[in-house]
Amino acid sequence: MALVRNWQIGRSMSYWYPESRPQRQFAAVFDVNKCIACQTCTIACKTTWTSGKGQEYMLFNNVETKPYGYYPLGWDVKVLEKLGPQPWEGGRYAGRTIFEAAEAGERTAGWRPDELDYSYPNVGEDDCAGQAIVNGAYYQLPHLSWFFYLARICNHCTYPACLASCPRGSIYKRPEDGIVLVDQGRCRGYQECVRGCPYKKVFFNPMTGTSEKCIACFPKIEQGLSPQCFLNCIGKIRSAGFVHLPEKADAENPIDYLVHVRKVALPLFPQLGLEPNVYYVPPLHAPEPFLEQMFGPGVHEALRTYRNARNDPDLAGLIALFGSTERIIHRFKRRGETMYGYDDRGSEILHVPITEPVQVLTAFDPRRGVAPANIT
Amino acid sequence: MDRSLTKAALPCMIAAALACSGRPQRAVSPAEVRAVRSAHLPATPDDPAWARVPVHPAQLLPQDVVEPRVLAPTTASLEAQAVTDGASIAFRLTWAAPARSDRTGPAIFSDACALQLPATNGLDAPGPAPNPMMGEAGRPVEITYWRATWQATVDGRPDTLAALYPNAKVDHYPFESASLAPGSPEQLAMAKRYAPARALGNTMAGPRDRPVQDLAASGPGTLRPADRTVSTGAGKATTTGWSVVIVRPLPKGLVTGSRSQVAFAVWQGSKGEVGARKMRSGWIPLAVEGRQ
Repeated sequence: MALVRNWQIGRSMSYWYPESRPQRQFAAVFDVNKCIACQTCTIACKTTWTSGKGQEYMLFNNVETKPYGYYPLGWDVKVLEKLGPQPWEGGRYAGRTIFEAAEAGERTAGWRPDELDYSYPNVGEDDCAGQAIVNGAYYQLPHLSWFFYLARICNHCTYPACLASCPRGSIYKRPEDGIVLVDQGRCRGYQECVRGCPYKKVFFNPMTGTSEKCIACFPKIEQGLSPQCFLNCIGKIRSAGFVHLPEKADAENPIDYLVHVRKVALPLFPQLGLEPNVYYVPPLHAPEPFLEQMFGPGVHEALRTYRNARNDPDLAGLIALFGSTERIIHRFKRRGETMYGYDDRGSEILHVPITEPVQVLTAFDPRRGVAPANIT
Repeated sequence: MDRSLTKAALPCMIAAALACSGRPQRAVSPAEVRAVRSAHLPATPDDPAWARVPVHPAQLLPQDVVEPRVLAPTTASLEAQAVTDGASIAFRLTWAAPARSDRTGPAIFSDACALQLPATNGLDAPGPAPNPMMGEAGRPVEITYWRATWQATVDGRPDTLAALYPNAKVDHYPFESASLAPGSPEQLAMAKRYAPARALGNTMAGPRDRPVQDLAASGPGTLRPADRTVSTGAGKATTTGWSVVIVRPLPKGLVTGSRSQVAFAVWQGSKGEVGARKMRSGWIPLAVEGRQ
């Protein structure tokens, strides 16, 4: 075990290997508030990467309803239960990560889903939590009765538990972009990575006898393009890019701006200790204690910042860039009411209006001789 | 009673007990695996030739050196026998597996066994034997690994999803579309692209014509396939577990009339044993009989 720095938990922690950060780290921001669980991302990924034999049950990308949806069954509650209640002290995590809580003889505090845990991909879909609605209700935040959709891919963690769990070094983190991959030529299918990954984003293929996982569509990343699940997102909830350490944050880099400067996008279960690199804008309408457990103590400030986005043209404009292009936006700049996105060489990729123009149609169009009707 | 004395005397007591029972006497080789010289190498577990080969009762220990470790012992021992024809050596390993498993899937693991020999012997290998835990840098070991899943495939269970999940329904595989003639080079090439491990030539991914793999290692975590698998094997379920025959070439430098070492490992799939989670022996002396 080595001592490594994990900025998401505000302290050093034990990890199986010494700290070795990639030249740049693939990262993403998902705005939970915009997800409608249409599963287009899931299908885009499925048809691209997992339509082979033995991959039938694999969902490198899935969208589950929180709090009662999970794929595989109970992936989050089982690891939380295994760790037990753990404290944060301000921005510093005072509890134990899954590396620090590993039992004797194990590399992580992991667990292995049973075969049937993969049999309910839509369990809990649209199931509400909270109070029963009796005699009506009125609008308030958080909602009396609530759920939200959580889109999930591999987090391409800085400290991957899958990588740490593999006793034969079959999993590696690419130095050029931090994408975590299973070497399909070397894997022997021990499923230690499946056991170790708390997000359960490694899947065993019974037909090839090896484990497989999300590859962040690295052939596209290498060409400066967003992964398939980003490109096909109807709600435009996703933005792909690269994240730096907090002290090296670049305020013109979209991911750094959202994660480090505005702190509106947060890691998923940072207390587990993996320094995951998919960051979530938390949902406005769910109870904050639940969200704090899921996204850490920064969630309260993040919600305040996000609620004010309508008065915050830089933030609103950056969110408007989400899903507007297949190309990865490395820098952004606002000029008045327009937000501009640039590639890694500084060339403009696109610009979008922060507030979409509104056209008010008359009830009857005399020039065409028709009465326009809303069709949406 | 002195515990070490009991341990030393146990094989003799077993042999004496067998001699007194009415059953045919079974020779026991308590201190070493004795590879009996024979022109005929028994290739199946129920070949009657095994009845004339002494049995070595090999004690197994938990793999508790590298993580993940086994902390609670499972398979306590196995019975090892060996026959050599001077070029190859056949081992029969027999052990008890209370709940046999010949499937592999998510959180489902297959029963398996393996035997390990120093890669070089005799004059080529001065000094002590390599580390019994998968060898060490510069002192590699050769391993032959048998898996019940592969045995089932070789015995006729189709290597298909339907065989593993009879009720599974799949709408469509792109590489089985109507525009591709089944079995055509185009169709096979496309199917390979949808099985990454197979496309990379990973021997775990099949297709499979034998239940064993030849491997080499130079320490924990370094296991790698041999250039090709030349060994053969045959496993059979017994009333209490498995009996498996592995036939493989004698390692380099190991000639008849000489001595080497052998080690064994057993995985109980039903106990979640796979990879480093295994029961294993230390080095056991291996005596390779000379010409009769």
